[in-house]
Amino acid sequence: MSVQFKSITELRAMLDDKLISASELTEESFQLAKKYKELNCFVTMNEELGKKNANTIDLDNKSNSMLAGIPLAQKDLFCTEGLRTTCSSKILANFIPPYSATAVKKLEDAGSITIGKTNMDEFAMGSSNETSFFGNVHNPWKKGYVPGGSSGGSAAAVSAGIVPAATGTDTGGSIRQPAAHCGITGLKPTYGRVSRWGMIAFASSLDQAGPLARTAEDCAILLNAMSGHDSKDTTSLNSTVPDFSENINQPLDGLKIGIIKEFNLDDLDKEVQARFEDSKRAYEKLGAQFIEVSLPNISASVPTYYSIAPAECSSNLSRFDGVRIGYRAEDTDDLNDLYIKSRSEGFGDEVKRRILIGTYALSAGYYDAYYKKAQQVRRLIKNDFDNVFKSVDILMTPTSPNTAFKFGSKGSQNPVELYLEDLFTISSNLAGLPAISIPHGQVNSLPVGLQLIGNFLREDQLLNAAHVFQQNSDFHLAQPNLENF
Amino acid sequence: MDQETVSTICYLARLEIDKNKSEKIKQDLETIIELIGSLQTIDTSSIEPLYSPLEMTALTHEDIENSDNKKNQFLENAASSNEDYFLVPRVVE
Repeated sequence: MSVQFKSITELRAMLDDKLISASELTEESFQLAKKYKELNCFVTMNEELGKKNANTIDLDNKSNSMLAGIPLAQKDLFCTEGLRTTCSSKILANFIPPYSATAVKKLEDAGSITIGKTNMDEFAMGSSNETSFFGNVHNPWKKGYVPGGSSGGSAAAVSAGIVPAATGTDTGGSIRQPAAHCGITGLKPTYGRVSRWGMIAFASSLDQAGPLARTAEDCAILLNAMSGHDSKDTTSLNSTVPDFSENINQPLDGLKIGIIKEFNLDDLDKEVQARFEDSKRAYEKLGAQFIEVSLPNISASVPTYYSIAPAECSSNLSRFDGVRIGYRAEDTDDLNDLYIKSRSEGFGDEVKRRILIGTYALSAGYYDAYYKKAQQVRRLIKNDFDNVFKSVDILMTPTSPNTAFKFGSKGSQNPVELYLEDLFTISSNLAGLPAISIPHGQVNSLPVGLQLIGNFLREDQLLNAAHVFQQNSDFHLAQPNLENF
Repeated sequence: MDQETVSTICYLARLEIDKNKSEKIKQDLETIIELIGSLQTIDTSSIEPLYSPLEMTALTHEDIENSDNKKNQFLENAASSNEDYFLVPRVVE
């Protein structure tokens, strides 16, 4: 019996009923990864240890955890002890971490089986997975089209049914936008909800780990395991973690959903706009009320982000100098030459571009004009969110202005064109808020995502609103036709 | 932005740009700087910067010694090391 495209909830029932073993389930994931190798979802497989761990779960015969025996894929940005972690960069192509990221360790401690590390934009810098040193990932829905980014490999692996769920990270939309382009569900939790320890940092005040899965219900299962305070991460929140699975089928009567008037949806593709209107009607039928709200500074989110994120990136990536970890250039004259050649040969073009922008924004004479200014505007954006959450429970936007696009069709002439992909997703990273993307139909046979943004630490409301929508629709059950791969 | 500024930033970031790509990089940087420069029109005169969405003081914990020493594993990840140190080209003659 094939388990491809089954949710964690379905697989849990099969495991508990002894219809399949963890070893058989894991074996099928490895077989599917091989069968769809052309998708290029994975950078490194964890076959030997993955099979061993699955066998241990079978022998233990305890299924007190929802994730016991469930195969998962990890974005190749999470350090995994003894398993190569590249961030899809040449500079880390041979890096074997001596420890595992807290988020991964928690998932593995809950009994899940890591089957491999997924392809991504280099150091998570990109919205199309085209900046990876290990090549493009194909969108399972259409060969030659991007899966979105930066967690493109994770999204494609879930979309193709190779694994029921995967981890991702989201700095400006890197979980939600690929989830939308690949027709799956992806959640960016509140900043601080999930430990960042062992995640290779891109922009430390924006990065957040979260799950990609087939359903909101499965995202809740992963979030339960991943969340919680970690003394090793000074930005980890020391707050109570609710059981996200417990209350996800509450009626939506009276739920107040805000529509942001500054996002002019008339500028969108007409079909993307039509799907959005359909979903508004669906939520109204489920009892929700819509209120137009104003976030006067939200239009400044993209320029704010592209000042802050590169500045933090240029600082974080200064650790890659060819000395302690990663690629070292040969034939260097002196230490300075070693730094320059190792970094220049090790980083790809987009990473270099962002390091340079960040270096410029942080340099003497420009710091106040660019970096500090952006952090001031960031506060205005956060204040706008604080204000609207006094009158609404959640906000609703499209996840992305369009569907997946062809390889090479965006950003090669003007990088800003690709930066605008994140128009709807970036603001919740700036404010540290949780947000989820759920599939809500298709345009030209490609999936479209709906984004719900929640108040601080209110993932429970998002997961409930997403789950109830999925209980009353079948968009999340659509499967790509993989015969071309 | 002129080529000299690009060269200065490249040196500060310890990066070298291929000569055939330097004009494109300059254009890209100009485009991005123009994008982030658009923030100048927003009045932020009395606004404190928001450097982290949490705005909290880092939590501290007891300073307890532990024996989790992974020195060898860290040294193994370096391109060049001996039993105790990372090795780099000679810096003192």
